[in-house]
Amino acid sequence: MELPTVEELATQLQAVSGAPDVDVDAPLTQLSDVDSMDLMEWLYGFQSQYPELQADASLFQEDGDGGATLRTVHGRLLALAAQPASAK
Amino acid sequence: MQITGWGTSLPEKIVSSVELAERFGIDEDWIVSRCGINERRYVQDGQTTASLAIEAGQRALDKAGLTGADIAHLIVATATPEQPSPATSAFVHHELGVSGSAHDVNAECSGFVYGLIFAAAMMKMDPRPILLIGSDTHSLTVNPADRDLGILVGDGAGAVVLTPGEDDWVLSWDLGADGARASSLKVLAGGSRMPTTEETVRDGLHYAKINGNEIYLNAVRYTVGTVRNTMEKAGLSVSDVDHVVPHQANIRIINSILNHTGLTQDQLVTNIHKYGNTASASIPIALAEALDDGRITAGDLVMLAGFGAGMTWGSVLLRWGGETA
Repeated sequence: MELPTVEELATQLQAVSGAPDVDVDAPLTQLSDVDSMDLMEWLYGFQSQYPELQADASLFQEDGDGGATLRTVHGRLLALAAQPASAK
Repeated sequence: MQITGWGTSLPEKIVSSVELAERFGIDEDWIVSRCGINERRYVQDGQTTASLAIEAGQRALDKAGLTGADIAHLIVATATPEQPSPATSAFVHHELGVSGSAHDVNAECSGFVYGLIFAAAMMKMDPRPILLIGSDTHSLTVNPADRDLGILVGDGAGAVVLTPGEDDWVLSWDLGADGARASSLKVLAGGSRMPTTEETVRDGLHYAKINGNEIYLNAVRYTVGTVRNTMEKAGLSVSDVDHVVPHQANIRIINSILNHTGLTQDQLVTNIHKYGNTASASIPIALAEALDDGRITAGDLVMLAGFGAGMTWGSVLLRWGGETA
């Protein structure tokens, strides 16, 4: 399964939110012009495209280093994709 | 089944987003951009879920040229009942002088669509007039400090009179529920699982609590699914629909549903900017306004679609005036 790159994720989030740019290394909660409903809208689209991954809102949970970034989300998606089907 | 009467009841007290922005220490634009609501109505002293339902119900009866005595069955959809027992419909039944049975439906914001399908089924067994009312007063169940719900909710009621007829206006329908999502929007205390105590009141557990992200995601998913199911059952396309009257939850959710179903802004009936999210009442209020405005006319294809806590969802496709209209 080929997942989008982190840059492609940023482009998708821009399209959903209308944000002029999305810093993939900024905490999601600090992105101007992107709010939680934009993230849910993006997630709905992603889920529809990759239903087998079973991605959910936990993708956006804060990690030990603070707020999750889009790069964090991308890493979590890669980890989900690497899991055997029985673990998803 | 036909819809031959409709009516609404909206409290006079208007609460603007400017007022709520001051209360919560946020920007008005943030509220409007987040949910599309400029103002909403709140009940005042003496107004309750039942009193709104009675007023809307009476107006619907008047429009239909009927009285309570003509009504074989009364269904009240509400998630904010008059009191825990008896059912809200008992109070409405008495005040309107309904002659037949009285039922409450709690499917939260899907309640009106659920009630409409129940009524349609009931009418096949007993072809006599039914009064269906959606009424909610969520302003009374929201924690005054809860910004997420506080900016959304409004109070109101909407009613329709359903009568038997040669033409069945219901072309197709779909209902569903997913109890695994029961925690998305909940009031923990006050039921058998957690009876009201001093502690539950102190901890605010009698207030509604929402997981907004989960609601958004699943509201879109389930509503898109139910609209598709209903269109498929009817053998029609969304482009055939003249008017879609969705649950007026939040303009961003509504727009997402349009986007993912292929429905358009031209088809959309919305009044969320004026009344906010009135739960079970939102669809019948929007429907009644569209009818009073002359927007819906005989022969039009009308889709009603909603979702609510539970989670529940449902949609129904009506040919206004029936196939011969």
